[in-house]
Amino acid sequence: MRHEQIETNSGLMIVLILVVISIGGLVEIVPLFYISETVEKVEGVRPYTPLEQRGRDIYVREGCYACHSQQIRPFRDEWLRYGHYSLAAESQYDHPFQWGSKRTGPDLARVGGKYSNQWHVQHMIAPRSVVPQSIMPNYPWLLERDLDYSDMETRMRALRRVGVPYSLTQEEYDANVARFGPALADQFDINQARESLLKQARDNNFDGLPDRITEMEALVAYLQMLGTLVDFSQYEEGYFGRFR
Amino acid sequence: MVQSSALPAEQYNYDIVRKFTIMAMVWAVIGMMVGVYIASELAWPGLNLDNPALTFGRLRPVHTTLVIFGFGGCALFATSYYIVQRTCQARLAFPWLAEFTFWGWQAGVGLGALSYMAGITQGREYAEFAWPLDIAITVVWVSYLAVYVETLRRRNQPHIYVANWFFLAYILAVALLHIFNNLAVPVSWTESYSLFAGVQDAMVQWWYGHNAVGFFLTAAFLGMMYYFVPKQAGRPIYSYRLSIIHFWALIFLYMWAGGHHLHWTSLPDWVSTLAATFSILLLMPSWGGMINGIMTLSGAWDKLRSDPVMLFLITSLSFYGMSTFEGPLMSLKSVNALSHYTDWTVGHVHSGALGWVALISFGSFYHLIPRLWDTRMYSQNLIYVHFWLATIGIVLYITSMWVAGIGQGLMLRSFDDYGNLAYTFIETVEFMHTPYIWRALGGVFFVTGVLVMVYNFVMTVRSARREQAALDAKLAAKMAKA
Amino acid sequence: MFDWLMWFTHMENSKPLALVLFFGVFCGILIYVYTGKQRGQRLESYKYIPLDDDEPPAADAAPDGNRSPSRKVTDHE
Repeated sequence: MRHEQIETNSGLMIVLILVVISIGGLVEIVPLFYISETVEKVEGVRPYTPLEQRGRDIYVREGCYACHSQQIRPFRDEWLRYGHYSLAAESQYDHPFQWGSKRTGPDLARVGGKYSNQWHVQHMIAPRSVVPQSIMPNYPWLLERDLDYSDMETRMRALRRVGVPYSLTQEEYDANVARFGPALADQFDINQARESLLKQARDNNFDGLPDRITEMEALVAYLQMLGTLVDFSQYEEGYFGRFR
Repeated sequence: MVQSSALPAEQYNYDIVRKFTIMAMVWAVIGMMVGVYIASELAWPGLNLDNPALTFGRLRPVHTTLVIFGFGGCALFATSYYIVQRTCQARLAFPWLAEFTFWGWQAGVGLGALSYMAGITQGREYAEFAWPLDIAITVVWVSYLAVYVETLRRRNQPHIYVANWFFLAYILAVALLHIFNNLAVPVSWTESYSLFAGVQDAMVQWWYGHNAVGFFLTAAFLGMMYYFVPKQAGRPIYSYRLSIIHFWALIFLYMWAGGHHLHWTSLPDWVSTLAATFSILLLMPSWGGMINGIMTLSGAWDKLRSDPVMLFLITSLSFYGMSTFEGPLMSLKSVNALSHYTDWTVGHVHSGALGWVALISFGSFYHLIPRLWDTRMYSQNLIYVHFWLATIGIVLYITSMWVAGIGQGLMLRSFDDYGNLAYTFIETVEFMHTPYIWRALGGVFFVTGVLVMVYNFVMTVRSARREQAALDAKLAAKMAKA
Repeated sequence: MFDWLMWFTHMENSKPLALVLFFGVFCGILIYVYTGKQRGQRLESYKYIPLDDDEPPAADAAPDGNRSPSRKVTDHE
């Protein structure tokens, strides 16, 4: 075939371009959905509770990923600073993923439990009041605005459609009880979405305001669970290396 | 060969090209000013003003969207519509559809920017548009494809010139990337959850993200290069055969490289190794293209001394060569371990975006404007002024980001004698304060250059109008006498 | 006798196979593009396409980049 045939025929050129640009993506992306080792088998990883998911929505809304990553790499300094490197399994319910690409601020993949709820609230309202050199914006409105959770069921239904095991039927609920235990299964039940959210907020009072449920409540709930699901002491050294 | 004796302005649809050229400049000014503002926010966080719409997290996608899709997109629409008409010697097909692509694109970019400030975002880098906008953009893009391909089909020149191959590949690839990366299930009119999760989502997103750079910001601007460099130099491209190799190798290799944005993450090692390998290979077609462009001037180097437009075009190719060397270097896993998550990446992107994309667009505009408005540029000296402001701005920007990025990377991984971390994270933030000021200053230089161009452009159009009016008056007087 | 065909069915051989395939195609294109003097000249002749419409319709078709100073821009505008 002469190259002139391609450059004098727009249809042929379109077809060839499509073939050439498709190969790379097909080879690299499609196998990720089929190779079982892509995501490790680990105990403890679970979907987000309704309150945590709303916190995550706010995290996405404010564009936190522009400055904070959620992905710890297997290096000594990151191990000392942040903890065990991130596992694929730990973000398997993240729609969308928030690994980030820039650390203007520190990584948040395992920030959960490192600071108190009060610290987080104060740090959100005025970061420089707790870390004087910080360049993070103030987020005072998070404590002023009440959390909108009226559409929690719709959100969970949408997430269920993309593969998160929130339950709609009795059968799915029972499966969640067996898999996550009754307390969490209640949280993952779409039919009691709003009650579960209220329950978690009242039980923990993340924002320090007992009579209100603010956006801060949801965001702190989310931050406090990040990276806390897997108990790494259960696994022998090198176990996770097998999946890489 | 051209058979028609009609003027190009009548033979071709220049109106749409003019509109896109103007909007490219408008978005450039707004988008780059937002860039300077958010750069200053990092140096002086008080600038966030406790206002949700003005925080760094929400303004950053406004900056990237306005600059990439607003400025870059309009520049590409303008030049591709111009080039496809001139090299096919055919008038643009479906003028009403082309008009639709203009208004649709402006609406998409503008609404996108406003929606981010309102907190409506998908949280996917460079693809933050909410789902209804994604669909609208897809419609505009398919219309673009239709106009472009139909114009190609109506060509009076048997061969499709190289520049059009690149534009065609970019239109097709961006359609493919945009559609797959934005698959999501809606929650409301403003929110949705992505179809993919975690590691698969990350790979799809960076397959998109890297090829947005590869096709939107590289292949398409190479199309620009393959037309405007030969035209401005008045000599054909250095080697047509090299351009054949360049084209196929570039579009094949780029699609493999996205995984290098995810080195050392939960992405399986085989994917990131493969991505790194192809990133290294990419150096060859990239430099092939650069050599093809620069060598076009071989034997006529004096044009660099006499023609400021040529200076823009050739300097942009030099920055292209530099950043396509830096890119493969940063895709090596060992280098990436240091550079990733730091400002080195930000500097790298801007050496490509300012040095290559913006400079070649400015050069092309200075070539286009006199032809579109049938006049000559108001001031050659102001083109030189723009060139030096832009160059100083880029150099300040890149160097300050090297200092900030490499500095932070080294600080984060240094240990004291006892094996403890030598620095806390916040100490690296303090360290970056000074480079951040220099970076903002670099941005100010660059924006000032753009404002000089806009002034030069406005004066050019005004004098063109005056000339036209004088000519019309003369003609009227003649008619009256006769 | 056809046992060697089985080599292609093993997944672990896909990498060298792909390498040979892609590299082969690449070399093929290189050879096609850069061998043959006539083919080379023919291919190179297409690079004048963007300069074609620079010439006034009456002028000689030979591509030539010289600008006539009397005109404001190079095209026949």
